[in-house]
Amino acid sequence: MLKKRLIFTLLYNSGSFMLSRNFRLQAVGDFDWLQRNYDFSRISNYIDELVVLDVTRKKRNLDEFCEVLKSITLNNFVPITVGGGVKDVDSARKLLRSGADKILINSGLFNKSNLARELSEEYGQQCVVGSIDLKRSKTGEFQVWSEDGGKLSEASARDLLEIVLKKSIGEIYLNSMDRDGTGQGLDLEILELLPKRVNKPIILAGGVGNSDHLMVGLKDSRIDAVATANLFNFVGDGLKKARQELVAGGIVLPMWDLEFRSMHEASSLQNSGSHE
Amino acid sequence: MTVIDYGMGNIWSVTSALRYLNCKVIVSSDPLAIQKAESLILPGVGSFRKAMNALRDMNLEAPILESALVRKIKFLGICLGMQLMGIDSTEDGITKGLNLIPSKVDKFSLAEIAERKVPHIGFDQVNSDSSGNLFKGISGNQDFYFVHSYRMLPPDSQGIVSTCNYGIDFLAAYESDNLFATQFHPEKSQTNGLKLLDNFLKA
Repeated sequence: MLKKRLIFTLLYNSGSFMLSRNFRLQAVGDFDWLQRNYDFSRISNYIDELVVLDVTRKKRNLDEFCEVLKSITLNNFVPITVGGGVKDVDSARKLLRSGADKILINSGLFNKSNLARELSEEYGQQCVVGSIDLKRSKTGEFQVWSEDGGKLSEASARDLLEIVLKKSIGEIYLNSMDRDGTGQGLDLEILELLPKRVNKPIILAGGVGNSDHLMVGLKDSRIDAVATANLFNFVGDGLKKARQELVAGGIVLPMWDLEFRSMHEASSLQNSGSHE
Repeated sequence: MTVIDYGMGNIWSVTSALRYLNCKVIVSSDPLAIQKAESLILPGVGSFRKAMNALRDMNLEAPILESALVRKIKFLGICLGMQLMGIDSTEDGITKGLNLIPSKVDKFSLAEIAERKVPHIGFDQVNSDSSGNLFKGISGNQDFYFVHSYRMLPPDSQGIVSTCNYGIDFLAAYESDNLFATQFHPEKSQTNGLKLLDNFLKA
């Protein structure tokens, strides 16, 4: 049986890792901070996928981001989706050579470019993740924003979702800007915007603050994966605990034993004579 | 271990898993290096036609076939790399493959998968045949990470076949003498995949 996925999303902004609340960014720490508090070579043992987004609002530095990506993904043996500022096949290629397995695009879905098609012709649809940021208007209707939440789309969210679902993408990452970083739980009403029959995997993000929120999402038959970007709420062994609680609560997640790594690492150290 | 670099792979992920397993890795797009390699991995994330064209344009097809069929060195195809080992694929028009595995590559049809979603993305259970090398010491029905819209059906002929069920039983892993292949990504399948890669390295 195909298992649902628990995804952690990491936000990067020119050298720092960020906490986002309603798309307002706050720097939490640099790579050293991340390693101390989120050693992803360990944390990745408890997640099913890692998403890394370059949310830099000023000019992005792709080469620098690729180097950071290599460091984060070292000794991670989970799928890694990378996005933020991907404008063409060349930048996607660089990312795929630096630790990415899939490419996430957002603004490219709404501007006039054929980015989704170009990427899928090169790498296949399964390699392209379409991300959609949604926010409620004053009257409570969902609207789609692009360009890091800076540009409002004119068409209705329902129509846009239908259009995006037909694009050359493999899956859809839906993010609630209202719930983003609030820890108030996922906004399941977003799913009501989807057409009745959705033939692509759906990832829902925005608002996860604890394992109960993950549980609610993963139990929903319309959702294939739940993502959280909340660096603070899952710090330390937070993701390990959350995963244990999900499994205890009846969510069928994939299993693997961790002994292989500890034994392998111990014997590799012995052979290399290193004390690191 | 030489990893074939034809511009289509998640090269970093594959090499970093191999290095973790203390394997000396060479990444190469040089036909001569492929011709002399002691063992080969053909990774791949991409469309079949683009990938096959790239292999041909870079003069890699002949040394790959010679290595796999004449020199009979250890050879592993991963994901698209496995599909390239098939007879042909219908992705973006019909394109001939390397013809190392007697099976064709075709898109999951909605009928055969009973309206499940495509791509097939995530960890899924592999009904593994542990009589070969790849699944040695890996108990049956472990989860491995898949991400694909096209699939191969299990070949009828010789070879050790492991399958995954997504409405239909499709080919998840294959081995026959020196040839090995996985539709899933062992380099992305946590310790289940590391064990399998380690088995391949030791085979």
